[in-house]
Amino acid sequence: MPSVLRPILEFAGVTRAYGSRLALDDVSLALEPGELAFLVGPSGAGKTTLLKLINREIRPSMGHVWVDGLAAHNIKASRVSALRRRVGVVFQDYKLLPRLTAMENVAFALQVGDLRVSDDEAKERALDALEAVGLGDRGDSFPHQLSGGQQQRVAVARAVVGQPPLLIADEPTGNLDIDTSWEMMDLFADIAAFGTTVLIATHNVEIVRRFQRRVITLVHGRLVRDQPAGRTGRMAWLATS
Amino acid sequence: MAGDVVTAHFPRRLLIQIVATNIFRYLFRGAARNWFRNIGSAAPALSSMTLLLLLSGLVGLVGFALYNLKTIQSAEASLLHVYVRDDARPADVDSLWDRLAADPRVASVTYTTRAEALARAQHMPGLPQLASATDSNPFPASLDVRVKNIDDVASIDRLVRYEIAVDPVYSTSYDRGAYQRIQAFLLGIAVAGLAFLGLLGFVAVTVTMNSIRAAIHSRRDEVTIMQLVGAPRWMVRGPFVIEGAITGALSGALAGIVVFGLTAAGIAAASTSFAQFAPGVTAAVAAFAAALVFATGLGLGSGSSLISVRRHLES
Repeated sequence: MPSVLRPILEFAGVTRAYGSRLALDDVSLALEPGELAFLVGPSGAGKTTLLKLINREIRPSMGHVWVDGLAAHNIKASRVSALRRRVGVVFQDYKLLPRLTAMENVAFALQVGDLRVSDDEAKERALDALEAVGLGDRGDSFPHQLSGGQQQRVAVARAVVGQPPLLIADEPTGNLDIDTSWEMMDLFADIAAFGTTVLIATHNVEIVRRFQRRVITLVHGRLVRDQPAGRTGRMAWLATS
Repeated sequence: MAGDVVTAHFPRRLLIQIVATNIFRYLFRGAARNWFRNIGSAAPALSSMTLLLLLSGLVGLVGFALYNLKTIQSAEASLLHVYVRDDARPADVDSLWDRLAADPRVASVTYTTRAEALARAQHMPGLPQLASATDSNPFPASLDVRVKNIDDVASIDRLVRYEIAVDPVYSTSYDRGAYQRIQAFLLGIAVAGLAFLGLLGFVAVTVTMNSIRAAIHSRRDEVTIMQLVGAPRWMVRGPFVIEGAITGALSGALAGIVVFGLTAAGIAAASTSFAQFAPGVTAAVAAFAAALVFATGLGLGSGSSLISVRRHLES
C-alpha cells in the first residue's frame, strides 16, 4: 500500500557540480517521517554534498530539494535559518563549544534558534534532552570532562532539543570505539522511533548490516542503490569495487 | 522526539522581556565579552581609529576656523580703506566722500577717525603690540568704502588713489590678488587635509576590518554552530558588528575627549589670541566637534565591521 505521508526530505533530479566535476548527479530520493536511513558510499561519492544540500550550506546546480515542505533549492538567504531549525545536525567532531557546559551547549542552540525561549525553559528542555541521551547527570560538565561518546551524545541532544523533524548525521561514529558506536546507533534508532526522520552518512559497514534499515548508496555522485529496510545485503559500493 | 511542540501562551509583556533578555545576552553582552577577550586583535584598530578621529576632530576645528577666517577675509576684501592724509582739508574729504557715496558700485562709505583706527587695530591679530609700541598713533584716518562687488575694488582703488585728500604713500588697503591668494591657500590646505584624512580613514577601516576578520576566525566554531542551529542571520552577524561599534565608540570617545580638552585648554590659556586665530571656535563648538567625532567613530566601527562580516561570514 503506498504511503500517504508527506516526505520530510525529498530530492528530485538533484545535480551539484563543482566546476566540471559532478559531486551529485541526478539524485532523486524521499524520506518519510520516522524513517532511519543510512547514506553510504566510498570517499568522494557525494555523501557530504548531499547533506550540505539539505541544510542549504550549498545550492543544487539543478533539481529540487524539499525539507519539511520548504524549498531548500531556492530558499531566500533570510529564510535559511527557518530551514535549519527544521534540521538537526550531528558531526563527526561533535562541534561543542568548549567554554560552555553540556547543558549550556544544548540550551545555547535552543535559544539562538528561538529567542522566545526563556532561560528557565531552555534549561529545562536542555536537561530533558540530555536525560534522553543518557547524560542527565552530566549537564554541568564541560566538553573536555566528557568522553568522546558522551560528547557525541551532547551533540545529539543539541541537535534534537529543538524537536526538528529531520536529523542528519555525518559520520557520527567516526571518532568512537565500536561499543560506543552501537550505543550511538541505538540512540538514533530511538529518536527515529519517536517520529524524527534520521539520515546517517557512514562508512561503518558493520553497523549498516546489523541495523537492517534503508540504505542509500552513492557512487561517483550517482544514487546506485536504494535498499529498503530489512533488505540490506552487500553494499553497492563494495559490489562495484 | 519529533512532533508538534506545545507552547504555552505567555503574556505578551513577558515574551517581550524574554526576547529582549536573549537579544541583550547574545548580541550585546556576548559582543562586549568577546571584545575584551580579543582585545589583542582589537588594539591596532582601536589605536589607528583613535588617531584618525583625533586628527579628524582637530582638522575639522581648524577647517571651521579657516572657514570663518575666509568669511572674515572676504568681507574685509570688499571693504576698501581709503587712507586720508593727515593734513587733508575737510572740504576735500567731504567731496571725495560724496562722490564715493554717489557711485553705483559702492554700498556704503563711513569715516574712521585716527582714534577709531587705533581702537580697531587693537582687536586685530598682531596689531595690538604695534599699537602699544609707540606713544603716538600710527594709524591714519580713512574712508571705509564697502564695495558691492568684490571685482570692483580695483577700479575704486584707481579712482581714489590720486585724489588730493588721499595719502600719497599709503593710498588704500587694496592688495592686488590677496583675496585670491587666501582662497588658493585655503583650497590647498583643504585638499591636503582631506587627502590625509582619506588615507588615515582607509588605514583605520582596513585595520578594523582585519580585526573583525580575526574575531570571526577565532570564533568560527561558534559561528558554524549558530548557523547550523538556525540562528537568524542578524544574530550571527550582530555581535561582530557590535564589536566593531565598541571599537569605534571607544576610539570616538577617546578622540572626542582629547579634541575637547585641547580646545578648552587653548581657550583657557589665551582666550583673546585664540579667538583671533581661530574665530568661531568656542567651547560649545568644541563639544559639538567631540560629539561628532564620537558619532563618526561609532559609525566607522560599525560600518567597517559590517563590511568585514558581509565579506568573511557566509550565510
